[in-house]
Amino acid sequence: MQTFPLTLVAGPPGAGKTTWIRQQLDGAERFAYLNLGADAVRIDATYLAAEVPELVVWSSWLPELADFTKYQTYIELDFHIDLGSLVLPTEFADCHRVAVLPPGIRQTEWHDWADVIVTGTETRVPLQPPQLWRSLLTGQVLDFASLTTVWDELINGAYGHVQRAKGIFEVTDGRSLYFDFVAGDPEPTSTELDLPRWLEGRPNRFSGVEVVGEQLDETAIAQTLKDCCLDDRTLAYYQQQVREFLEDG
Amino acid sequence: MKIAVISCIHGNYEALNEVLLDIDRHQVEQIYCLGDLVGYGPYPNAVVEMIRSLDIPTCQGCWDEDVVEGLNACECSYPSLLAEKRGRLAHEWTNQEIHPETRSFLAQLPLSLRDGNLCFVHGSPHSQHEYMLPDMHAFTAMERVLATGADTLFCGHTHIPYVRQLESGQLQVRVSSGQSSQRPNQQTSNFSAPLKRIVNAGSVGEPRHGRTNATYVLYDAETEQVTLREVEYDYQKTCAAIVEKGLPSIFAWRLARGLEFAERADDPTHVCER
Ligand SMILES: [Zn+2]
Ligand SMILES: [Zn+2]
Repeated sequence: MQTFPLTLVAGPPGAGKTTWIRQQLDGAERFAYLNLGADAVRIDATYLAAEVPELVVWSSWLPELADFTKYQTYIELDFHIDLGSLVLPTEFADCHRVAVLPPGIRQTEWHDWADVIVTGTETRVPLQPPQLWRSLLTGQVLDFASLTTVWDELINGAYGHVQRAKGIFEVTDGRSLYFDFVAGDPEPTSTELDLPRWLEGRPNRFSGVEVVGEQLDETAIAQTLKDCCLDDRTLAYYQQQVREFLEDG
Repeated sequence: MKIAVISCIHGNYEALNEVLLDIDRHQVEQIYCLGDLVGYGPYPNAVVEMIRSLDIPTCQGCWDEDVVEGLNACECSYPSLLAEKRGRLAHEWTNQEIHPETRSFLAQLPLSLRDGNLCFVHGSPHSQHEYMLPDMHAFTAMERVLATGADTLFCGHTHIPYVRQLESGQLQVRVSSGQSSQRPNQQTSNFSAPLKRIVNAGSVGEPRHGRTNATYVLYDAETEQVTLREVEYDYQKTCAAIVEKGLPSIFAWRLARGLEFAERADDPTHVCER
């Protein structure tokens, strides 16, 4: 039977699965990535694709088996996928299983499942977080000052106790920004993705947000994010301003 | 003579009450109020009633004007889209909540007050909506004070209290006349101005200094000494009333952290270009 150069990566939210995969990709070629369970909200995939342009990203469980022979493939399993009931094609039986776990935890289902345990980042996120909220924002453009206000409110508990939050947002000046927060991490990060500025109409590349926590006021989060979004007229006005500004140097 | 200057109460009755008690302990002869009695907070009527019953001379704030005239401020006067949406929510709520007598009281408020060499305005002598931030260009700041003819200008609106001395010295003013940009007629005049001062009274009801305490100032006319007062009050009562009266609960969350509800301006020279 043929074997496939395939690595499954699992672990709780915020432990650093995507970061670990990102490290494996450095300097190598012919890599592919698939995020299983993130559905339409492809934050990690979009982030990795922007960071590592050579990476092949499969957006759903669609590649042919033959494709898996062509690439060294990493499959990131979303934390809410039950490892016990995950059924993979029999050809994948001997794939590599990696669990990225916060330091100091023992005897979890990840330990039983994995061949290799990677020590990730310290996080205060419970191993089985109670609530997950996701929203697709593709096509929406946010005002940067509003975005920083709502993000600050969100990670500081204005809409419930947030343990993990990440998102990719399009902002008025055409940039695509990646925001990342894990409870206990003193420095929440935000970086600009290495993508061209989108300055003509609504961007048709992925943007979206994922929040993990307790007692989340999902309606308020959704409404507040909506309040940060530009309407067509305002968007057209600002895009033109930015285009003119960039042309003038 | 000792006076107290309060500003930007924004419907926060608990904060006003505590500040008035604190003023009582300092034996002042006169209290002045720089406006923004309403907006964001849950008790606009009670605040106006209190100011009115105590006969406190008050000038009109930006929120007082907007409630009377309707919201016509350009949207760029908000620092963000979100602040604008929240400001509109607060405006609509306040507009529904206030009694006719509250509205007519706000309508008759003067834009500035004068007491000897002291002048009192909400934003600046030119507009209730202009922010005079502590780092405003010295020349512009001096112009604002000179426009009043007073030596000390009390203002509010930014919610950050400060005292700024404008040193006396030669000021040169170049005045251009005529429309032609090629050869404008320029007149230069030199004059020296005595020491001038700007005192920002901060905010009673919506402080913006990272703590929840209300702020106001005491001024001693004899010694010309300005004392900045910070007063603790039961902000949790105000927060509970915000939620109870149907204002957005994020206002309560922000107030409890010493953050402004929504309004903030970092660029005083911003001019609307839309
Ligand atoms: Zn104010
Ligand atoms: Zn004001």
